[in-house]
Amino acid sequence: MTIDQGALTETAEELYESAPCGYLSTLPDGTIIRANQTFLTWIGMERQDLVGHRGFQDLLGIGGRIFYDTHFAPLLRMQGFVNEIAFDLTCADGRKLPVLANTVQKLDAAGRPMVHRITLFNATDRRKYERELLLARQKAEQATEELRRLNETLEERVAQEVAERMKAEEALRQAQKMEAVGQLTGGIAHDFNNLLTIIVGNIELLQRRLPDGHERLQRAADHAMEATRRAATLTQRLLAFSRRQPLDPKPVDANKLVAGMSELLRRTLGETVVLETVLAGGLWRTQADPNQLENAIVNLAVNARDAMPNGGKLTIETANTRLDEAYVEALAEPVPPGQYVQVSVSDTGTGMDKATMEKVFEPFFTTKAAGKGTGLGLSQIYGFVRQSNGHVRIYSELGEGTTIKIYLPRLIGSDQEPAEALAKRPAMVKGAGETILVVEDERDLRTYAVEALRDLGYRVLEAADGREALAAVEQHPEIALLFTDVVLAGGMNGRALADEVTRRKPGLPVLYTTGYTANAIVHHGRLDVGTHLIGKPFTYAELAAKVRRMLDGA
Amino acid sequence: MSAVLQRNNVKVVGKGQQPMLFAHGYGCDQNMWRFITPAFEDRYKIILFDHVGHGQSDATAFDPARYGSLHGYAEDVLAICRELELKDVIFVGHSVSAMIGVLAAIQEPDRFDRLVLIGPSPRYVNDGDYIGGFKQEDIEGLLDVLDSNHLGWSSTMAPVIMGNPDRPELGEELSNSFCLTNPEIAKHFARVTFLSDNRADLPKVKTKALILQCSQDVIAPETVGRYMHQNLRGSQLVLMNATGHCPNLSAPEETIAIMEAFLGEPAPIKAAAE
Repeated sequence: MTIDQGALTETAEELYESAPCGYLSTLPDGTIIRANQTFLTWIGMERQDLVGHRGFQDLLGIGGRIFYDTHFAPLLRMQGFVNEIAFDLTCADGRKLPVLANTVQKLDAAGRPMVHRITLFNATDRRKYERELLLARQKAEQATEELRRLNETLEERVAQEVAERMKAEEALRQAQKMEAVGQLTGGIAHDFNNLLTIIVGNIELLQRRLPDGHERLQRAADHAMEATRRAATLTQRLLAFSRRQPLDPKPVDANKLVAGMSELLRRTLGETVVLETVLAGGLWRTQADPNQLENAIVNLAVNARDAMPNGGKLTIETANTRLDEAYVEALAEPVPPGQYVQVSVSDTGTGMDKATMEKVFEPFFTTKAAGKGTGLGLSQIYGFVRQSNGHVRIYSELGEGTTIKIYLPRLIGSDQEPAEALAKRPAMVKGAGETILVVEDERDLRTYAVEALRDLGYRVLEAADGREALAAVEQHPEIALLFTDVVLAGGMNGRALADEVTRRKPGLPVLYTTGYTANAIVHHGRLDVGTHLIGKPFTYAELAAKVRRMLDGA
Repeated sequence: MSAVLQRNNVKVVGKGQQPMLFAHGYGCDQNMWRFITPAFEDRYKIILFDHVGHGQSDATAFDPARYGSLHGYAEDVLAICRELELKDVIFVGHSVSAMIGVLAAIQEPDRFDRLVLIGPSPRYVNDGDYIGGFKQEDIEGLLDVLDSNHLGWSSTMAPVIMGNPDRPELGEELSNSFCLTNPEIAKHFARVTFLSDNRADLPKVKTKALILQCSQDVIAPETVGRYMHQNLRGSQLVLMNATGHCPNLSAPEETIAIMEAFLGEPAPIKAAAE
């Protein structure tokens, strides 16, 4: 077999026509002057319909056409070539054929553009892949954007959180300071009370024993007693602030309480201050010591009056309200969320700045001139309200006025308000020789109590601590009443002692005394039901009345 | 170099006094004037620049809000004029830059002597009786093509455009390239250009204007050129033999001759002036 070598050799023509890419030659204006078979097959057109009749740009969609005019043609003219331009060719049957075009510009002898040689690659797969890449990139960009936004808000949130935390820490520091000051004042007040009890007792003794005809000495003793009472009031207020005053909480209708005070308040406020009370209908009852609440309102009214030297308006309002989770969370003190009775006192006075507001609850802080105030009023209110599981809020604007809101927990349950306690005037009631065991670790105090009781006509046994007391109980079955300090040295406190004594002698009346008390006798500052207590400093008359009433089973 | 001149990659050449400020159109940069400017260098002061985001302008100066309409670009033109203290400016604008020049001349009419508007269009999208040549969806088609063509671009050229101070050799490469545009800016500019409508601005122009209208220009068809001519008071419309959208590249001689005639220089005019 002979092989025609010529037939075996691929001609340039064959290569051109059947190459795996499209070849086009166009004039500078785009008119197609030559096209290879591959290209014609791709777009499904006859050579005679295309060559000489159509411009390359006519095969493009409108977007491609704009790109041809604005990018492809200028670039080719300036650069002499363009590589890898993506176009979609519109085929005869309307299909789109994605291609990549490499183009070279041929110049004539004068350097003017003569012909464009365009090589086209079928880019169906590549463009599909690129499209996917593009989508992936867009998704990635979106994700990045979302992440960025998240980060931005994160920063914002962190900043907010930090600000809140700092505020909370500041509030906590404030609360801790109050607590520390409370501890300190509470301790001092307690010691003072003990001293005052002794002073009161001894002054009373002097008053009683002074023979007639010594008026000057009698007056001196009276002055001493008066000063001591004032000192006792002060220590009482200190104890209130330190939340260590024994409270006597009862169901309280704040409306009734406020209404009952209006005459007193009007007198306190004077003529230049107008008093307005706004009492909410259907006000819930609360559980609080009514005397302390009255005290608080009077205190606030006095402060308000002093803040309105040129007159103004004082508004006392009551309302049912709810402290929600968010509100109580922002507080430094632990206040449970829930329903509260709100008593607010507002004035139209001078108001106070932030620095003042931060300090108003601190004891001895006062804006009043020396001698005009003790700086204990608001501290006392704070202590009372906190001890009653409530909350105090102060709002003030310089030049506008101040509102202080007291929130006391709603009393759930339907205990009837007890009938007004009979204000029995304690007559000076004498003893009838009953035996009373006095337990007090402080000698002077013990002496005072013992002497007072003996003076009243009782038989008195004394003990310095629990051990001695129990021994006395063993030896003296005739003991009719145990009078004990709450806090005792020697490991057994008053309550434990009382428990042990009443175990041995059931029904024996127990009278406690205390300057303040930790939780031994007073649960969270409240008297246990059925507990009898006489606060230090107590007077001879108070002691007489209390002991007599207990022995008589009143 | 001042911030403005650097931002817009401003180049000043030529021996003349009267400034001739050339503004490139959509898709290109100042290189597109390379066949035109030599004819005027002896008699004019030639000022060339790149719009922000194009060519070798400072792409970091791109602010989508500032350049959200053609007014932002017109502001840049005026900033360049102020910086170089240009007066009696002959503004030569191609394509969208023709309208940018129109806006600049409305704002500071005293600064401009003449406007040479090559392939201008006050609105590309058809609107009622007005035929701009495009439908709204055509613009989406263009953005698609831009996406297809920028995919390769972004992987190879983006690092260059985005700035690589530690690789100065990339800057060298760049100086040999033409019409490079950051893809996002290119798409932004495409939208701003093809969705612009400055028809209401045309009657405000007081500067004498020349309109160069190519034959078979898909982007700015003849009807648009005639609309421009009717609405620009005292304007001159020249229908060119050149086809396409860039006569400054495809037919520089014809373009130069028409400009010379308009500027009052003796030069043969091949096309009929209206």
